Amino acid sequence: MKSTILSSALLMGSLWLTGCASSGVKNPSGVPVTRLNPDEQGFVAGTGIESQDLVAVADKMARSILAIPQIANAPTPPVVVLDPVENKTRFPINKDIFLTRIRAQLNSRAQGKVIFLARDRMATLERERNLKREGAVTASADPQVQEFKGADYFLTGTLEGLSTRTRAGTSDYILYAFQLIDARTSAIVWEDMAEVKKQGLEDAAYR
Amino acid sequence: MNCKPGFHVGHQGQQGFRPSVRGIRATRWLAILLLASWVTLSWLLTGCAASRSQGPPLTGDILVDGPRAIAEGPARDRVLWQYRTAAAALRQGRFDLARTLLDEALLTLQGIHGPNPEARRARSLFRPESVKPFIGEPYERSMAYIYRGILYWRDGELDNARACFRSAQFEDSDAEQRTYAGDWVLPDFLEALATAKLGGDPSDALRRAQTNVRGATLPPLDPSVNVLVFLEFGPGPLKYAAGEHGEQLRFRTAPSPVKSARLQVAGLTVTAAPVDDVNFQATTRGGRVMDHILGNKAVFKDTADTVGDAAILGGAVLAVAGQGRKSAADEAGAALVLAGLASKLLAAATMPQADTRAWDNLPQFLSFVQLRLPPGDHTAVVEFLGPNAQPLSDRTKTIHFRVPAEGRDVVLFVSDTSTTPQHQ
Repeated sequence: MKSTILSSALLMGSLWLTGCASSGVKNPSGVPVTRLNPDEQGFVAGTGIESQDLVAVADKMARSILAIPQIANAPTPPVVVLDPVENKTRFPINKDIFLTRIRAQLNSRAQGKVIFLARDRMATLERERNLKREGAVTASADPQVQEFKGADYFLTGTLEGLSTRTRAGTSDYILYAFQLIDARTSAIVWEDMAEVKKQGLEDAAYR
Repeated sequence: MNCKPGFHVGHQGQQGFRPSVRGIRATRWLAILLLASWVTLSWLLTGCAASRSQGPPLTGDILVDGPRAIAEGPARDRVLWQYRTAAAALRQGRFDLARTLLDEALLTLQGIHGPNPEARRARSLFRPESVKPFIGEPYERSMAYIYRGILYWRDGELDNARACFRSAQFEDSDAEQRTYAGDWVLPDFLEALATAKLGGDPSDALRRAQTNVRGATLPPLDPSVNVLVFLEFGPGPLKYAAGEHGEQLRFRTAPSPVKSARLQVAGLTVTAAPVDDVNFQATTRGGRVMDHILGNKAVFKDTADTVGDAAILGGAVLAVAGQGRKSAADEAGAALVLAGLASKLLAAATMPQADTRAWDNLPQFLSFVQLRLPPGDHTAVVEFLGPNAQPLSDRTKTIHFRVPAEGRDVVLFVSDTSTTPQHQ
């Protein structure tokens, strides 16, 4: 009887193995997203902008800005206004987050070498100033005097992407470029960039 | 193997219904094997039943059913209900709800790379494809991005809108035949328009749109337009399973009673022909990798069933040939019958059915009108036209809107199933 059981088990096992439904499918379980250097040869195409990209890019830009002579050697701290980044990738994102992090990084590390203007709060600031002018609230200085500062520089940037999708997977290359533009001359006094390339392959059930 | 009185009625007189010790053992083994097989099959079927747990009862109002299904229904259907509810919300002018739902759905969609245990189960022999979390076929994913792009445009985020239109096209870029890869028209045209409005070079995207457009004429690219009207009409594609075991995913497309739309606003009358056909996009993607897997499942099911039949038949022949003389043929016959039964059980438990869950409230046609209107309050009347360009009376929509003196574009969304009148 043992031989009977054994032969049954073998038969069942054979059926199981020969009937593997995923046979002939390359990477049926998919390949996890892998972060690569931009110059590294990838095997497929990629995914989107994530927090680690934001941190790396913003850190690099903040360090780079602090080193330029217009900031490092300025007799008085230059006044900078953030101009929204333009997103040219295929990924919808909260694009303000890059400039917000760069600004926070500079404010925390530059020790007053740069002054940023809160232009995104102008409506609130103007309302407060008007209240002071009307005498509705107290003022520590003459509210009739125009004290809102103008910009010496604009900090802005673009996010550009190259995307590829084939049966082998998805690949996305994103170029983050930031510029500091002289508000008086329109000269780009500083520019730097960072690149990220990612690629991934979803489970065969989604292909 | 002379232990089965019921199998050897003709020998009752000779055997006297007294099985041997060896026969009793064999009977026990047979009982154990059958029990094990039964337990295994029951476990498989129970597992499938559990995995197909139903969502909460439906009321027929998708804006009630959708949020409830998302919150309380199976996690694998969450994106499906997010899609459906978002489309319904758009047609009722509830753009905030649509925005939230599409953002959640696209978050899932963008994080689908790499190993996924639920998707792996969908590839297993004993689970249907529908156990995987739904993200939709490429045409469904593209539509999610198109809708989200329209909402970004409404919010004045033209670059994010453009990103969505690029992603919509991207989802369609791995069609089996390159002719049909990335051949949506509206996303390319809107990418071009957004790029022109942002001061970029729209020529590439515009050229792609002009190349792919069929049966309609695209409006000229005019960055100064300040009112965009998105129109959709007709029933979208539905899925069904074909093949002997339902292993082939197919699309069913119903003819649309609406063939075009006519917009009247501020003394202007504009007729809009379809620029994109969602049914066409659904049916031109070509074969999937999953189709290959389902095909293998179907082959396994057939093979296991055939092997089971052969083994049972062969076993029965051997058992009959053994004639209960405690011969090896008797044992081999019993083994074959058991193996055959097990094989039949495996065949029965194999599930090659294709996943037919579908975003079932998509439109068939997409169209678009661009206008330059003076600031102030306006009322647009949209008539959806039949085959002879006659207005279908029950589908006329009225939209009230205001064009600001400066600032973002006005974006109207009108479906032949929209509620009316609306303030957008």
